[in-house]
Amino acid sequence: MYLNQLTIYGFGKFHDRTFDLTAGLNVLVGPNEAGKSTLTQFITAILFGFPTKKHPALRYEPLDGSRFGGEITFTQNQTRYLVTRTDGPRGGTVTLRNLTTALTLPPESLPHLLEPVDEALFTSVYVMNEPRLGTVFSASKQELVDRLRHVGAIGSDFWLNQAQILGKQADELYKPQGRNPILNQQLQEHQELTAKLAKAKAAYDTYWDLLQRQQAQRQQQGKLQQELEQQRQVTVQLEQQAANWSTFLQWQRLAQQQSLTTTGFTREDATELARLTGRTTALTATLKEDQTKLQRLQQTTKLTPLFTQYLAATAQVDPLFEQLATVKAANETCARLRANQQDYQQRATAIEQQYAPDGQMPRPFSLATLQQVKRLQEKLATANQKRRQLQQELNRLNEAYRQAQPTRRQRSNPLADKQLGWLAAGLVILIGAMFLPGTLFKLVGALCGVAVGYYGAFIVDGETPASRQLQDLTDSIRDIQAQLREGGQQEDALTNQLEAVGDSYGLGQIPVDQWSAAQAAIGEWEHLTQQLQQTAEQLTTQTQIISDFQITAEQALPDLKVQPLATVLQQLAGLQVTRQALSSQQTDLTAVAETIQRTQRELNQAQRAEETFLRTRNLTTVDDFYRHYQQIREQDNQAAQQEALASQLGPAMQEALQQYATHAELATTVQRAQHRQQDLQSQLDTLTTSLATLAGQLDQLTASGTQAALQQKLANLEAQMQETTQAWLTKNLTRQWIAATLAAASGDRLPQIVTQASEFYGKLTENRYTEIELTPNTLRVQLATGEWREVGQLSRGTAEQLDLAVKLAFAVVMNQRVGMPLVIDDGLVNFDEHRRQAAYALLAEISETVQVIFLTADVTVNAIAGNLIRLTD
Amino acid sequence: MKFIHAADLHLDSPFLGLTSLPSTLLATVRQSTFTAATRIFDRALAEHVDFVVLAGDLFDRSEQSVAAQAFLFQQFQRLADAQIPVFISFGNHDYAADQHQTVAYPANVTTFGPEVGTMTITLQSGETVAVSGFSYPERWVTTDPVVNFPGHARTDWHIGLLHGAVATGSADHYAPFTVAELLAKRYDYWALGHIHHRQLLNDQPPILYAGNPQGRSINETGAKGAYLVTSQQGKLVPEFFETGVVDWEVPTVQLTATTLSELGEQVTTWLTDHPAAKPTLTAMTATLPTAMDETMSPDWLSLYQKTHQRQMKASQRFIIRLNVTTPTTPLVAPQLDQVYWNQGAKTVFTAANEEQLFGKLAQNPALAEWFDRSATRAQLQALAEQNLRQIMGEAGHDVS
Repeated sequence: MYLNQLTIYGFGKFHDRTFDLTAGLNVLVGPNEAGKSTLTQFITAILFGFPTKKHPALRYEPLDGSRFGGEITFTQNQTRYLVTRTDGPRGGTVTLRNLTTALTLPPESLPHLLEPVDEALFTSVYVMNEPRLGTVFSASKQELVDRLRHVGAIGSDFWLNQAQILGKQADELYKPQGRNPILNQQLQEHQELTAKLAKAKAAYDTYWDLLQRQQAQRQQQGKLQQELEQQRQVTVQLEQQAANWSTFLQWQRLAQQQSLTTTGFTREDATELARLTGRTTALTATLKEDQTKLQRLQQTTKLTPLFTQYLAATAQVDPLFEQLATVKAANETCARLRANQQDYQQRATAIEQQYAPDGQMPRPFSLATLQQVKRLQEKLATANQKRRQLQQELNRLNEAYRQAQPTRRQRSNPLADKQLGWLAAGLVILIGAMFLPGTLFKLVGALCGVAVGYYGAFIVDGETPASRQLQDLTDSIRDIQAQLREGGQQEDALTNQLEAVGDSYGLGQIPVDQWSAAQAAIGEWEHLTQQLQQTAEQLTTQTQIISDFQITAEQALPDLKVQPLATVLQQLAGLQVTRQALSSQQTDLTAVAETIQRTQRELNQAQRAEETFLRTRNLTTVDDFYRHYQQIREQDNQAAQQEALASQLGPAMQEALQQYATHAELATTVQRAQHRQQDLQSQLDTLTTSLATLAGQLDQLTASGTQAALQQKLANLEAQMQETTQAWLTKNLTRQWIAATLAAASGDRLPQIVTQASEFYGKLTENRYTEIELTPNTLRVQLATGEWREVGQLSRGTAEQLDLAVKLAFAVVMNQRVGMPLVIDDGLVNFDEHRRQAAYALLAEISETVQVIFLTADVTVNAIAGNLIRLTD
Repeated sequence: MKFIHAADLHLDSPFLGLTSLPSTLLATVRQSTFTAATRIFDRALAEHVDFVVLAGDLFDRSEQSVAAQAFLFQQFQRLADAQIPVFISFGNHDYAADQHQTVAYPANVTTFGPEVGTMTITLQSGETVAVSGFSYPERWVTTDPVVNFPGHARTDWHIGLLHGAVATGSADHYAPFTVAELLAKRYDYWALGHIHHRQLLNDQPPILYAGNPQGRSINETGAKGAYLVTSQQGKLVPEFFETGVVDWEVPTVQLTATTLSELGEQVTTWLTDHPAAKPTLTAMTATLPTAMDETMSPDWLSLYQKTHQRQMKASQRFIIRLNVTTPTTPLVAPQLDQVYWNQGAKTVFTAANEEQLFGKLAQNPALAEWFDRSATRAQLQALAEQNLRQIMGEAGHDVS
């Protein structure tokens, strides 16, 4: 960009004045007070605005009262613009026109057109005057760097400012060494909260401890409760035992008594006895009464003393009456038997005399012997008879033989004809019988036929032919002779056998043929002997009956003693008669007597029953029974009582109580158990209390919520801290970012500027200095000799030349991006002649790329080529 | 067969990232982990489940919370009374070492040891179930534990209980495993824990993270709860049920405010128009078409919270954070080239520089932890850019 024309309406000493400028070097020459500085200010004011009215010295309002302001025509990017600024608010009223397109632009677009150059940059870099050139010396390290950054990056002032603000804001949030910034306070609070939380967390271990204790104690509690329950039962049992002690003692005492285990003394037995005695008593009384009654009756009736005696003993005598007939018969039988006995005796003696001369009676044959003897005798007889027959036969045969031998006759044999005839006849009869009517006739006929046949076949057969008959006779004779010999031997054997039998039975002296008679006699004798014996027995029996009777009678009736039986019988018969007479005549008496008799019988029975009753119980008297009975009753009572006690105690209790010898021992045990129970109870109570306390502590720990609240508070605080830290970090990072960006932006151009500045500086100092270097702290320059010089070591002029060189270099380098005219207001006053000329030459050189407006009082400037304007014109 | 799979109860651990909270909500928030866990156990009792598996991180060891322990004792006792067994494998937050195990949980509770163990139970139905799992012996388990799990037992069902994360190949501190490995075991169900977002790694057999029953930070949004698993035709089918007491939400809202007062009004309107079903901690991002004239001071939100308590309560939404963003335009500095800004950013936003700046603050563990998060650095740069934009805006105004 370059300025074409400056038109001043009224500004400082100028009014209605126009300056035409060229794109290259413009030299405006004027002596002092010619308005060089005013013109410089005019350019700045029109482009960037009038200063406020607070600084009237800088406003350059026209002194003659003409219109304040002016216009500048400038060319940018081949476009001509006209900017007019007149007095007005906010730096003056601006109009902007695009002269190329003849359009009026909004005044706001002016800064954008000038961008990125603002007033600060323009005045500090593009506008140079002597005082400003000197500022390089007063620059501190930071200022120098900032300035270079400022120079290097357009608008960096703003950013630097913003960075500073961010830094301040960040410091309000947090300072690593501070106390008051927000984050510092939060960190402090965090520390406190963490400590508090740690304290609260201590409860955690306490909690577990408590929990562990609670568990242990609960187990213990359970155990104790169980123990206590057991102990309670034990105590209750023991107390019950103690309460039962007296009962137990009683039971024990009862148990020790010996028991009489006797049967037959039951209540029923007693009743039975009472019934028996009662009956006896009653009967006795009745008997007595009846006897009295009888006596009374007897007195009225005359009775023999025997009868009286009888009445007293009716019971004994009455059976005698019944025996009377028997006894009488027995007596007769006795007489008869004695007669028989005598008879048998005589007969037996007769037999004995006949057969037993030596007094030894032959023994009778046994049945077998008898038969044997009989058989032997028969056989003997048969043998004799046979022998006689055989003898006769032999005799006959001998005779026959004798006859047969001389007369031998031829004998035909008609046998076959005869036999056939008979058989045929039988057959005819048999067949003929078949034709008979009726079964019976058929049968009879058949039999007849068979009989005829048989006769023919067998009877006829007996006939032998005569030749053979003789032979047979001879054989028969020989046979019979043999048989005779045999029979003789047989007879001898039989006789011998019989003799042996006779000897063995003592019949030796008796011939055999008398044996059967002897046997009969022996049988009779034996029979007699038996009869005798029987008779003697019968006699004894009968005699016994009689004597028994007599004894009984004598016992019952003493009057009959030593009297013959007949008399006794007679007397008794008399009594019977009397009794019958009495019974028929005197019913009362009889009845009484009968009653007495009956009563007596019953009494006897009763007494017997009573006796039996007592005897079975090994007792003699009724009183004994009752004594015994009483004892048993007593014993039963006691047993019942014992049983009741036993059931009251129960078997377990009995067993338990038996372990204790004395009541004192039991009492001690009970007391011990009670103590133990109390002890357990108190232990349990303590434990329960302890558990309750534990539960309370646990509840408190659980419910306190302090920890949770602290935890949440801490979490919230941490969130806040994170936010604060984030803000702090963001601000710091942004600040750093701005700085880094500025550094980057300037750092890019700095080398160029420095190189350019070195070149310019060399030209300005006639190559005395060849190099400028930007150190971390400041600038240093190198002499052509190679020495380095710090800025502070340079002379004023040389320092101003350094500044000029840097600014020119900046303008030239920045021109690549933005072009701005360089306005130099008499800035070379401290330069020596050589260097001034060198500067002029440099300016001329620069003006080829950058418009240079050089205002000077130096009239020698004519030497330089360029648009020369004399302000004084 | 029916059981509940839950994990990461994180009982009595505080909600993170809250700078302030109305006192009415504070009590709810403080109880929320307990309430959520109670809902799980209530469900277990109501459904008469056969057992409950808890896949780790029941509580935070570092918190040492009495309330958490007391709560567990009480709840386990409830389950014990109903004869419902509980299987626990401790995770990286409640790792087993040095725990006060002298006081054991009720008898129905089985806690797995540091080595993989298998428990077998017979259900009332007669079915048999094997449960395999292990507990972290310390904060980190860097080896793959799956190899130690046995194959499918001779039971009707076999369930794996695992607290860990899928292996990524590097810096795997939480029982790294692969889904293929789990599938190879042929279990009927893998009950996973550690990841707080519920997710299904495999459909059938289910391999699944139950997520935590109550979200505790801005990162734990969405419905939170546990799973009721039932057997259906020989398969185990998980069914999610919600237990969260307080929800977290991060809505992004388009607003048109140009001033702070307008912003306040529009946020209030949004609250009225979007009531929540249950207390919801809402971290709102308001997107504005243009930057506001005024900058939002850090106190603005707390002032808003104080003055709009009624509206927030009515909608059950509590604005815990309000970020305002404007459309991202390339950073155009009027006086400085973009290149230089980028160059500057390169030198400033380096880990070394940031750490140097962070400096002593790293001594605070909470801040250090925040600073170490990966998101933090990016956020710092974004915020710095936002700052710059704001400054540029100011600069623009000044010029005009």
